Amino acid sequence: MPNAGASPWARHSPLLLAAGAAWLLAVSAGFAFLWKYKSTPGAQGDPTPATWPAHTGVARSSSRATLLMFAHPGCTCTRASIAELAWIMNRFHDRLDASVLFWSPRDAPRDWQSGDGLWASAARIPRVSVLRDRDGREASRFGVTTSGAVLLYDSGGRLLFKGGITSARGHEGDSFGRERIASLLTTGAADRADAPVFGCALGAAPAEGLAQAGSTNQTERSEK
Amino acid sequence: MSVAREEMGMAQAAADVIVRRAEDRYQAHQQEIYRTTDRTLAGLMIGEWVFAVILSLTISPWSWEGKARSVHPHVFVALVLGGAITSLPVALALLRPGAPATRHAIAVGQMLWSALLIHLTGGRIETHFHVFGSLAILAFYRDWPVLLTGTVVVAVDHLVRGIAWPESVYGIANPEWWRFLEHAFWVVFCISFLILSCRRSQRDMRVMAERGAELEALSENQWRSSSVLERAANDAGGKG
Repeated sequence: MPNAGASPWARHSPLLLAAGAAWLLAVSAGFAFLWKYKSTPGAQGDPTPATWPAHTGVARSSSRATLLMFAHPGCTCTRASIAELAWIMNRFHDRLDASVLFWSPRDAPRDWQSGDGLWASAARIPRVSVLRDRDGREASRFGVTTSGAVLLYDSGGRLLFKGGITSARGHEGDSFGRERIASLLTTGAADRADAPVFGCALGAAPAEGLAQAGSTNQTERSEK
Repeated sequence: MSVAREEMGMAQAAADVIVRRAEDRYQAHQQEIYRTTDRTLAGLMIGEWVFAVILSLTISPWSWEGKARSVHPHVFVALVLGGAITSLPVALALLRPGAPATRHAIAVGQMLWSALLIHLTGGRIETHFHVFGSLAILAFYRDWPVLLTGTVVVAVDHLVRGIAWPESVYGIANPEWWRFLEHAFWVVFCISFLILSCRRSQRDMRVMAERGAELEALSENQWRSSSVLERAANDAGGKG
């Protein structure tokens, strides 16, 4: 038989109730903090060129749409963005060329890109080029400041979409961004051309580098 | 006539003793199951806490802002929120093992662990299996109201997030009205069979307790009879 009567908790049931209420309050506060963190998007960044910039070192397809994803190699939230990119490429590989540009500071250590395995994950996606974005010059050129941001240009070089493709920080699954890109690629239209981006902040590019024209040498293509 | 009434009274008294013993045996067995399961699930929750901290340190140790890194909020969440979720159920399992409040607190805690692990693994569909695994583990109690408590936690979690942040539950902002029912259906499907199993287990436990009590009574009667015969034989031997 239970010996709960011998316990101080049983003798003082108000204490048990108070402990239960305090516990629920603490746990609710913890989840509220977690939800707030996960649903807070990163910075929108500067305006993105409405047409493909002339001085970029990134190649654009003239026969199909081009998708660019900007990523911080250490950002764990971006792992979900890359998983979503794989989903998009699996479904639309015949209508899309894609590149992932990993932000790389000038004085980055040698293992900077391989740090969290994101580079390798992106490189495994078929028809995706993985590039090194030296000092984030391309990110600045395209007006991107948050890891996981995606730009979609049509074959004529017109910007169709700018935003994220996850529903929260590091959260895989359906999202506004993914749905809008899918809609743009299948019907040519979407209810909006943007979506919040959830990811770490990319570093700012040095101002002197942006003024340089023809930055092909600033972006290194990886082997697939 | 009075002899017959006396015999009937004795038979009734014997039956009452058997019923009381059966109830005692049933309650003792039930308590043993409650206490054992309390201990098992308290250990499981501590294990989940350790697992969550290791998981967060492995999957998402750092948060970045350019070149500057800081400890990822998931590490703090696993440590602090995980610890908070684990604290009350484990404390109750130690201080009030076998009490109803303990197993219901454990049910709430275990389902909250499902929610936290889903968050920490970035909403991976595979982690959602933890919800159904947890419901199955809660059935160890063989106490179906505990399953209802666990289900209520899942329902409240879906309801609150479905209103405040629908993308986190359904992945889209304006889910079809029946999406909640689809999620609920699978949970109800799971617990319906678990509740059935709990009720059958309780019934089996009661049958076992009754048979045990009957055997005990029979054994006692045999012992008494043999003692009477022994004494009679001894008396006869002594007189001879």
